[in-house]
Amino acid sequence: MTDAVIYDRGYRSYEGERLGRAAIRRAIARDGIRRVLGLRRKARRKVLPWSLLVTAVTMAAVIIGLHFVAGSISAAVAEGLPSYPNLFDLYSRIALLLIAVTGPELLGPDRSLGVLSVYFSRPMRVSDYLVGKLFAYLSVAGALYVVPQLLLHLGLAGLSDDGFFSYLVDRLDILWKVPAVAAGYLAVHGGLLAVVSSQIERTGFAAAAYFGTLTAGNQLAGVIADTDFPGSRFVSLLALDDHARVVRDWVFGSNLGRHVPEEFGFDPWVSALAIGVVALIGGWWAYRRYRKLA
Amino acid sequence: MSTSPPVPAVVSTQSLTHAYGDVVALQDVDVTLGAGVTGLVGANGAGKTTFLRVLLGLLHPTHGNVMVLGRDALKDPLAVRSLVGYMPENQCLPKDQTAADFVAYTAELAGLPTADARRRASETLFLVGLEEERFRFLGDFSTGMAQRVKLAQAIVHGPELVLLDEPASGLDPAGREAMLELIRRLGSFGINVIFSSHLLTDIEATCDSVMLLDAGWLVRSGPVSNLGPTSTITVEVIGDAGEFAARLMAAGLAAVASEHDVTVTGATDHDYDVIRDTADDQGVGIYRLSPTSRSLEDEFLMRANKAEQ
Repeated sequence: MTDAVIYDRGYRSYEGERLGRAAIRRAIARDGIRRVLGLRRKARRKVLPWSLLVTAVTMAAVIIGLHFVAGSISAAVAEGLPSYPNLFDLYSRIALLLIAVTGPELLGPDRSLGVLSVYFSRPMRVSDYLVGKLFAYLSVAGALYVVPQLLLHLGLAGLSDDGFFSYLVDRLDILWKVPAVAAGYLAVHGGLLAVVSSQIERTGFAAAAYFGTLTAGNQLAGVIADTDFPGSRFVSLLALDDHARVVRDWVFGSNLGRHVPEEFGFDPWVSALAIGVVALIGGWWAYRRYRKLA
Repeated sequence: MSTSPPVPAVVSTQSLTHAYGDVVALQDVDVTLGAGVTGLVGANGAGKTTFLRVLLGLLHPTHGNVMVLGRDALKDPLAVRSLVGYMPENQCLPKDQTAADFVAYTAELAGLPTADARRRASETLFLVGLEEERFRFLGDFSTGMAQRVKLAQAIVHGPELVLLDEPASGLDPAGREAMLELIRRLGSFGINVIFSSHLLTDIEATCDSVMLLDAGWLVRSGPVSNLGPTSTITVEVIGDAGEFAARLMAAGLAAVASEHDVTVTGATDHDYDVIRDTADDQGVGIYRLSPTSRSLEDEFLMRANKAEQ
């Protein structure tokens, strides 16, 4: 038998390496991704994000499967199946739900639970905090847009009669079109999310406000723009969700329906500009709000 | 002959003033705080939290200078924050994270690499007595455990100075004593501590020095031991105590009369002679003359009474 002894190790000062603000931003982004995906959280926090992500990937797999089946029947049938722009339409719905439910988690709880007072006592600036959160948002929501498109791209390349690599080489434009359209969706959704989440503490209310603005706001903008008030057509620019769709059709050269800003005579570049403005307003709003809170 | 370099003050302020609009939270505070555990005392609204937030560079004062650990807190707040830990008074824990994850994350926010941060989080939670509970979610923690986590995050990155805002707030007597013991231990580990509280007994039991704020003004600062027996003298007289007090005041002493007693505050050794000579001149008898040990609470109450008058 040996004699066991318990030592009080006391406190030892930290003498190791200290990283800079870039590492702090990475840590914030990592924590944000974990928070959105429910990682290192209770099981119930994982259910919604992971079911939506699995749904997105499954949908890409189903579309590849349909192409495989239809392609074996006739090329014409395969032509009529959903492709890249349609997939954006599908994913924007899933993304809308995912961002509405989990997006406010990125900013809201830190504020409502008072954790900001701890975070901002560390050697970082408000901009570091917000940039970290932005990376977290772009990582999760961006992956939702890009990964299924990538799967579809590789899947269609695998099914192509021209051969895998020929298909990829012939469609190099996909490599910029998908990120460009994804950036449009992410910018307009992220801008609105930043405004809503930095103002509303309760994540449920923030989710409802975000979801309502994008869905009902689109319809409402269309109705008001249709009235006879002078300059009412400019209200159509408040159909935020449609701007991303206009840009998608512009980039892919597709025509998946008429969108509110287009109906009132605005060119696609105006929608691209509107997306940029929404993103800038969101960033500025959040920065201004957190400067006060820090 | 060699001389040792002067030890820099942990905190020093000059003419520090901070106002929230029309409300002045700190008024012309000139203070130098040395190493060790310092108590920051004051009633609610005295400016304690504002003072701590100014030290962190989170609030930019309306006027004045602030040096923390030899660095300018206004010009280089990030350098100050890398050396300082802060435990806020308010609720500040994310309920859906484990203690280990949260403390490690706050260490990463201080620039520690991930592996070091996780190791330090474990060590620090062990130190505050939460080694068994470190993988539990913070939402399930009691108030006492939550206070310990708040303390752990304040020291996880190896700060030279820790600012504790009402660390014993909301704790039961046993929890409070445990928290004070932890703070005393921090002092023994060589960490400088500034510890705000309105519980004066806690300050007296824990701190080496004290800084007393009242409505934003610095009332006094210095070692707790200076509140010793020589600072107040109680004189019980046979005769007119009121006139005796008036004569003492005319002689330059701070004297207050009650029915038979006269209390002289801020007294020095020389004042005993003045009291004796004044009694002789007036022809009153001195029944008792004794130095009184005045607690921080007495001083605090005296200031409060003066403010009311």
